Amino acid sequence: MSLIADSVRVSWIDMCFIRRNIPSILVTCLVAPLLYLVAFGYGLGKGMTVDGFPYIAFMIPGVMALTTLTSSFNTVATKVMVQRVYYQSFDELILCSMSPTAIALGKAYAGAVRGVISCMILYILGLAICPEMSLSLWVPVLVVVSSMVYSLLGVVSGMLANSNLTLTLFTSLVIMPMTFLCGTLFSLDAMPPAVSAVIGVLPLTHTTECMRAAVLGTAFPWVSLAVMLVYGVAFLLVARYVIERGKS
Amino acid sequence: MSGAIVRARGITKRFGDHVAVDGIDVDIMEGEIMGFLGPNGAGKTTTMRMLTTLSQPTSGEIEVDGRRISGSSDPVKESIGIIQQHTALDRDVSVLENIRYHAMLHRMSRREADERIAELTELMGLTPYLDRLAINLSGGWKRRVAIVCAIIHRPRILFLDEPTAGLDTQSRHMLWDLIRQLNSEGTTIFITTHYMDEAEELCDRVAIIDHGRIVREGTPAELCRSIGQWAVEYRSEGRKSYRYFTERDDARSFLDSLPPDVPTVSRATNLEDVFLELTGRETVATEEVSYKI
Repeated sequence: MSLIADSVRVSWIDMCFIRRNIPSILVTCLVAPLLYLVAFGYGLGKGMTVDGFPYIAFMIPGVMALTTLTSSFNTVATKVMVQRVYYQSFDELILCSMSPTAIALGKAYAGAVRGVISCMILYILGLAICPEMSLSLWVPVLVVVSSMVYSLLGVVSGMLANSNLTLTLFTSLVIMPMTFLCGTLFSLDAMPPAVSAVIGVLPLTHTTECMRAAVLGTAFPWVSLAVMLVYGVAFLLVARYVIERGKS
Repeated sequence: MSGAIVRARGITKRFGDHVAVDGIDVDIMEGEIMGFLGPNGAGKTTTMRMLTTLSQPTSGEIEVDGRRISGSSDPVKESIGIIQQHTALDRDVSVLENIRYHAMLHRMSRREADERIAELTELMGLTPYLDRLAINLSGGWKRRVAIVCAIIHRPRILFLDEPTAGLDTQSRHMLWDLIRQLNSEGTTIFITTHYMDEAEELCDRVAIIDHGRIVREGTPAELCRSIGQWAVEYRSEGRKSYRYFTERDDARSFLDSLPPDVPTVSRATNLEDVFLELTGRETVATEEVSYKI
């Protein structure tokens, strides 16, 4: 309990920032997914079916998955890097007697909140415009889990990046390819087996699989959920390690 | 003053091949104001980061309040407050939110935090600015907020890293008054500075550090006596030269021996003389240590 209470204390200042800036945060969270929806869903994909579903129904869970990644990751990675490198206020966390695990979790919560907000808005929108999508309690659970996983990846990246440039480099080389390649906008069946195998290892592929199954009511990929959880634990352990190592 | 509240033995910090701090011993006595005086790059900040658990020594041992510093969630940290050289605030939230956050990080109850915030913000003149974003405050006011954040949990030892660097005269004097007040209330103070007047004004004891080693330590008066209490400044070969004497008569004799057209000044020795004698008068380009996190 004290770990959770401490992590909530760590996250408090980031929550203050969110509370102060909620209108602009909502706008920035939603612009990219809505553009995907309009450009790919109604532009390119009109009249197409994938795996037996209209393209828009196939695509919305994918966009939800990639939104949890980009929204959570960008929020946390940028915040941690700025607080550490530019504001140097991250030192204050190292100076208090919070454990590295509490710090890692606490810094991840703000990203998770943003991921959940933007993803749930998309889900509600999808339910309104797409009759093939179903209301499922699994969706909020998956959104929370997924947002936390990518927020923890954001903590790791924010702790390792020594400038805006290195963070942008990581985003360009790792995050951006994942958003397009992990079955979010198209079926992986179309990919060559070797590429498909590589993509199958990436966490967003599993998030997309879970999200699509929950939203479209198909067989739930329990293995993918387990893989996501393993990634989450791994990111937490690495985050813990880099925070501990912060006492260089 | 009683025993040492901070005791460091043989602490060394290496960054690759560069030895920033080279096996120094530090004792900070309970209730004192101790100053670390040194030129840029001498190892002051690195030493302070090790003493405050922000950085682990490459070798050596540190005890704070009788307990050896160990893990990152060390309870020792609750005895420590630190005001860093840079003002480490979250600039996108308000002054009050910054201060309350520090109270939360030290697990203070809501009521205790409210009382302490009211007391400290009143003391520092921050009450009218509580709802302002920290980014909109000037440097001196940001420093005041940082001070409140650092002492909100009533630390037994307060570390200040060049606290008046870049501040205007009013803010410097306000800060000096506050340091004296905190010390009179029982807080032990450790301060790094390269301002001689600050060290002379505030410190009970001063250690002069250069190239990662403590080159001399004592009260300001002891340090002045160590090079001679009387200083003579004179022009020689187009540059200012200095001689120091233990006896005033010796200083007078030396003055008399100088040619009458040489401009001279005779005065009591000060910390700046000691500092320059021990650390040299040449300026050296120093490398900024980057702290990896």
